[in-house]
Amino acid sequence: MSKDSYLSPFSLATSDVLKEMLDINIDGSETASEGDLFVSQGFIVVVGFTGGWKGRFFLDMSSETAIQIASLLTGDDYDSVGDEDVIMSGAEVANIISGNAITDINNSQPGLNIRLTPPSVFAGDGISMFNVRLSSSSALMQTNIGTIKINVAVEGGK
Amino acid sequence: MDVKHINAFVSGLLNVSNMLGINDIKRTGLAKNESLKTDNDVNIIIGLVGDLRGNVVLSLQEATACNIASKMMGGVPVEQFDLMPKSALCEMANMIAGNSVSNLEQAGSLVDITPPTLVNGRNMISMISQVETIIVQFAASEGTIAINISLE
Repeated sequence: MSKDSYLSPFSLATSDVLKEMLDINIDGSETASEGDLFVSQGFIVVVGFTGGWKGRFFLDMSSETAIQIASLLTGDDYDSVGDEDVIMSGAEVANIISGNAITDINNSQPGLNIRLTPPSVFAGDGISMFNVRLSSSSALMQTNIGTIKINVAVEGGK
Repeated sequence: MDVKHINAFVSGLLNVSNMLGINDIKRTGLAKNESLKTDNDVNIIIGLVGDLRGNVVLSLQEATACNIASKMMGGVPVEQFDLMPKSALCEMANMIAGNSVSNLEQAGSLVDITPPTLVNGRNMISMISQVETIIVQFAASEGTIAINISLE
């Protein structure tokens, strides 16, 4: 399986959701391959999936970006990333993105039947994520509220 | 939440621990929480989909993780929590999940698991599930381990 076949549905879903839901435009994006260790910018949402493909999706951003996303969603101002609204907003955005991406993949490849797990959120300094034998690919998206990074790993993906 | 689901994970953890040579592991406590949050610096998340949907998180301190990794590698001292012990811990979590899922199957629930993701960091704020979570604590000479089970 090539990197494009699993990263692009997620990149596409991310730019769609950011644009449609939050009116955030992506000014530029680049892809990168990563090893099995992923270092967070400060705020990370994890959504696992299983079925025809097994793996996980990360939505990663800085704490400031996470706070801004929550403000855009709710219209309120927040001063801490620990605020429940900020955490929930991040979880919800990642849930919608991965839902859209997986629907897209399941529709274009009938029989895969991929299903998602509920999202988990982590915020703090120096958070690193590790997966055994799963090499992953990232897409870095530059927006006016900061860099939003997505990372997808699929078992058996290269 | 059904007690047979919790028991499947408890016996999964005990079976795998014994298999890895952690023989003195004991169940020390049980708690219930409104949501899944963790204070430990090493957390391994495994997602569940199928008849049950949710997350299971194995949560422990870095020192405990190093002790367990050392035990798994036949007593080789592990001082730093680098890729080697991370990989060992993920493998252990995967074995526990696999074992638990086969226990669940015997109890009549078909569940599929995602590959484990290890999250490591200090002063973390976490929100893993907003649903009721059962936390089962265990203690062994390597340290304490908690298994958090949150099912939707």
